[in-house]
Amino acid sequence: MARTILTVDGLTKRFGGLTAVDAAHLTVPEGQITGVIGPNGAGKSTLFDCITGITAPDAGSVRLGETELVGRAPHAIAHAGVGRTFQTPRIFEGMTVRENMAFAAVAQTGESVVGALARPGAVAAEEAETDARVDELLAFLTLDPLATAYAGELSGGQRKLLELGRVLMLDPTVLLLDEPLAGVNPTLGATIVDRLEALRTDGRTIVLIEHDLELVMRLCDTVVVLHHGATLAAGPPSVIRADPQVIDAYLGRMET
Amino acid sequence: MAIVTGWVAFVVTVATIACIYGLLTIGLNLQFGFTGLLNFGHVAFFAAGAYTAAIVSMPPPGTVPGARYMIGLAVPMPAGLLLTLAAATLMGGVLAALIGVSAIRLESHYLAIATFALAGIFYDVLVNERWLTNGTFGMTQVPKPLRATLGADAWALAYLLFAAATLAVVYLLVGRLLEAPFGRVLRGVRESTAAAEMLGKDTDRIKLVAFSLGGAIAGLAGGVYAHYIGSVVTGQFVAGVTFTVWAALLLGGVASHRGAVVGAFILVAFQQSTRFITTAYDAAVAAFPDTLGVVLTALAAPLPGHPAFLPSVRFMIIGLLFILVIRFRPAGVLGDPQEVTVMGSEE
Amino acid sequence: MVDLSGLAQALTFGLIEASVIALGAVGLTLSYGVTRFINFAYGEFLAWGAFTVVFLVAIAPALPLPLAVAVAVVAVGFMGVAVSGAFFEPIADRGGLPLLITSIGVAFVLRYLLVAIASTDARSLPVPLQRPVEWMGVGLTPVQAVVIGVAALAMLAIHGVLQYTTLGTVMRATSGNRELATVAGIDTEAVVRRTWVISAGAAALAGVLYTVLYAPVRPTFGFGYLIIIFAATLLGGIGRPYGAMLGAVLIGVTISVGSAYLSPAYDQAYAFIVLVVVLLVRPEGIRRGTF
Repeated sequence: MARTILTVDGLTKRFGGLTAVDAAHLTVPEGQITGVIGPNGAGKSTLFDCITGITAPDAGSVRLGETELVGRAPHAIAHAGVGRTFQTPRIFEGMTVRENMAFAAVAQTGESVVGALARPGAVAAEEAETDARVDELLAFLTLDPLATAYAGELSGGQRKLLELGRVLMLDPTVLLLDEPLAGVNPTLGATIVDRLEALRTDGRTIVLIEHDLELVMRLCDTVVVLHHGATLAAGPPSVIRADPQVIDAYLGRMET
Repeated sequence: MAIVTGWVAFVVTVATIACIYGLLTIGLNLQFGFTGLLNFGHVAFFAAGAYTAAIVSMPPPGTVPGARYMIGLAVPMPAGLLLTLAAATLMGGVLAALIGVSAIRLESHYLAIATFALAGIFYDVLVNERWLTNGTFGMTQVPKPLRATLGADAWALAYLLFAAATLAVVYLLVGRLLEAPFGRVLRGVRESTAAAEMLGKDTDRIKLVAFSLGGAIAGLAGGVYAHYIGSVVTGQFVAGVTFTVWAALLLGGVASHRGAVVGAFILVAFQQSTRFITTAYDAAVAAFPDTLGVVLTALAAPLPGHPAFLPSVRFMIIGLLFILVIRFRPAGVLGDPQEVTVMGSEE
Repeated sequence: MVDLSGLAQALTFGLIEASVIALGAVGLTLSYGVTRFINFAYGEFLAWGAFTVVFLVAIAPALPLPLAVAVAVVAVGFMGVAVSGAFFEPIADRGGLPLLITSIGVAFVLRYLLVAIASTDARSLPVPLQRPVEWMGVGLTPVQAVVIGVAALAMLAIHGVLQYTTLGTVMRATSGNRELATVAGIDTEAVVRRTWVISAGAAALAGVLYTVLYAPVRPTFGFGYLIIIFAATLLGGIGRPYGAMLGAVLIGVTISVGSAYLSPAYDQAYAFIVLVVVLLVRPEGIRRGTF
């Protein structure tokens, strides 16, 4: 039985009259890929927003291990070990791929005024370390030939890979990926899936939102279904696939 | 011969003012060019520095006739120069931090209005709190260090070297900062605060640091200015200064460290040139009254004769500069178009 | 013990100033609604309005003042369209930030063009010097009453246009969502032009009223007054004309009461402080609803 890395309990978020997330709950097991699915408007992205601190939930709790995340600032949550990517990658178009990656390096001496001016030795050493790590990750993501290209020039799939790479620089405890394959051509899509499986083999915990149900059933160890902001069902793909409530919610959209 | 010495004196003055504006522009570039913070109140930090230097170094009020101010610490020159400049820099930074703490999260348009309004309030305070600033009469006895020892001409040259050295040191230090991870973090925050937060960066703190640093550099510029002019008067710290620095930044190239200084020099040279134009015009008419003089007088005849005419034309040209740079070359003279297009992309 | 008649007098002065601010704020907010950027050049239309009347009166002293004002309002209205067409519309697709920075440049061009022509001398309009008339415990000169009346009528007219004409409907649609309005077949460029006429015209009238009340004025007064107008506009919620009117009343009263009861040296600073507080606490303004 895998350890639980992240627990979402009774999370609720209302926007005016609309309840986007309705007492949702979610248990994320370590070292697995958990898929979050649901019809459009089911509250999936909002759930991610609440977990990562972009939106403050109206009720409920999010626990990473023993740490309560609700109420903390987004950067603190990221620091605590939650890495998140967006549906439309928010990469820094004006910087090169390498700079994008290096940006994410954690707790650099060179990021403070005093450090940057007074400790050139430490800064140089850390930059070298960062460079090595960036090289490693870029190779892992097959982005190394693009290291010096401006991020703005990348294709959709390449941007997704870059965003994933950036978040991996944080060495996060759990990765929240919002539609990592949306709008990506099949070749790059296959690369992304392949890399996600490699990450799982490495022991990483991943939660992803996806609309490609076939892919989710193939790739994920656990599937959580959201409907109208509430958790409808959760379990292994084979169980979810046969669940009458889920089939109902999707009204025959799933192919068995 | 008088024209030659006049020329040299003119160039020395322009160069000194340009160095001071160079500092101001570097500060603004740090705030806007590199961090994306739209600051329309830069003159307030300049004024804070200038007045601090004045208050710290002016003779006590009892010794100055007609003084309405109450604090003059009379720190001795030239040794005290370091102290007055340090105080000026600190005050610029503190004022920026105070403004920044509340305003830093505002969306750019609102930040622009808020900084503009706060600078306006600051100006009113400068005018009204006579016990501190001597009101609109100004602090006119700011010491010029070593002026008596060196005499007018040598001092002007020496002060130019001093201002240039200050500019060079700040330029190098800020350059180092920008090349370090600090600069990288700023640029990321500039492009997307949300993405930066998601990657664990405390964007509020980063913006505050950049904003305060920019204000501190402006404060330093104020201190250098105070000891150069020898007097600090409210009329020197109007909104026009903020927008002249903006013009310099836009012209030189937003987010270009070199560009900031180049832009400042071009703009100050342009500003001071109107003085030069009138002098040159008068000299030409006097030297060649029957030929060139006639032509020049005829050309000038239909133009309004009031003294505000040439300065107005100058300001109109600065306005046109804003318009043309934004429309046709947003990256300015030395800026990188790649960096400039992403500015404000989070809107 | 609060001195009631003193307070009433301060409130009255506040209301008088509010009529000027309201016109300015409504004009600004209307143009923001369709162009979606903060126009720092707006204050210059006030100055141009005022000085056009000064100029007309100087060259044609027989011209009745109201007619001169009407001519100036229309002229500056069209100047607004010209300015928009020359400087703002060509870069309208670039987003709010380039437009805002450009508007600073436009402000400088307009202001110093006026100064170049008119010099920095302070000027006034031929308005008779009058003694205040006692009315329900407060003193009000007939001219001040006229100012309030003119401002109220102008705003009533704008209200009429917004609610009862096609232009008004189309303006409201475009200000809600320009792209959607274009898709719906509205000639948004024409709407923008017409909005500028109203916006700049309102500013011109505000400038004239300002001069009537606070003469003599310099051609540079617009930029400084802009902050006051911003304060009213933002207090009422940007893009909302009725909110702007409400905001103007509050700002006018704040300035007046502040100068009367706190320190008279600071007058406009009170408006600035309200503005900063609004920006920090509730940038969307105090009035609910879209208008």
